[in-house]
Amino acid sequence: MSAEEVYNRIPMLRAERGVSRKELAAALGVHYQTVGYLERGEYSPSLHLALRIAEYFEVPLEVVFSLKPFPRLGSEVRR
Amino acid sequence: MSERKSFGQMSWAELKRMSWAEFRQAGGWAELGRMNRADLIQLDMLPAWYATRERRRWLAGAGIFALALQWINAAVSWAVGPDDGGSRIILILVAIMMVIYLPAVTLMNIATRGLVELAERHLDERQVGERLRATTIAHRITTGLLTACFAAAVVAGMGGGDDYVVPERAVVMLVIALALTHFVLPLIVSTWRLPDPLPDNEE
Repeated sequence: MSAEEVYNRIPMLRAERGVSRKELAAALGVHYQTVGYLERGEYSPSLHLALRIAEYFEVPLEVVFSLKPFPRLGSEVRR
Repeated sequence: MSERKSFGQMSWAELKRMSWAEFRQAGGWAELGRMNRADLIQLDMLPAWYATRERRRWLAGAGIFALALQWINAAVSWAVGPDDGGSRIILILVAIMMVIYLPAVTLMNIATRGLVELAERHLDERQVGERLRATTIAHRITTGLLTACFAAAVVAGMGGGDDYVVPERAVVMLVIALALTHFVLPLIVSTWRLPDPLPDNEE
């Protein structure tokens, strides 16, 4: 695992809003494969692209990106 | 009635499924010819040739082999005189090189989605970054090759005495080999490094 890894919730947000990878890529002006690499954590976006992704989903930046892994859904309820 | 897609909005698989009548109705060859390079390269033609990392590395290997043939050509021009069958060897090697080089470069350009080929305005930030990385690695390799050429020329000059002259034909072949290497090595490096994209199972 890279020390500079940035975790994101793009697949979850995309699935929740029913947006395809190609639609998101077109809205952001990037190649659809770039969205794939972002989702897989193989590419960390620039600050500008990260802000545009957050703006697209209408959520704060920290809802989409984090330096630590996001907790699994339901894990807080179990505790 | 559903709206007809233009060629630029279609995938290669959709284009292949079209009948001749549909193809002609959509504008035919004239419309296909009007597409710019950036759109043509996104058509995902012949995906089986570059679908996996292993196959892409075979393609990159074919590109390296074609380049190596041109370097061998330069060495043959240096070592073998035109009257000793050198010209025939060079012609055969050039023919084999072109047969491998042209399809390999075309497929590598499609596989990388024009990462090295297209102007920067057609690329996004990830692609620009990847192009820079590939160019840097290729530049380092080219520097090594230039150093090796220089060392070979110095050694040949020292061993050949004061009146030693590198054959003109060898210099031309060497310049062609260096130019081709400089031109195509970033493409080979980016094809070699390309990770597998996520399967696109969304419509």
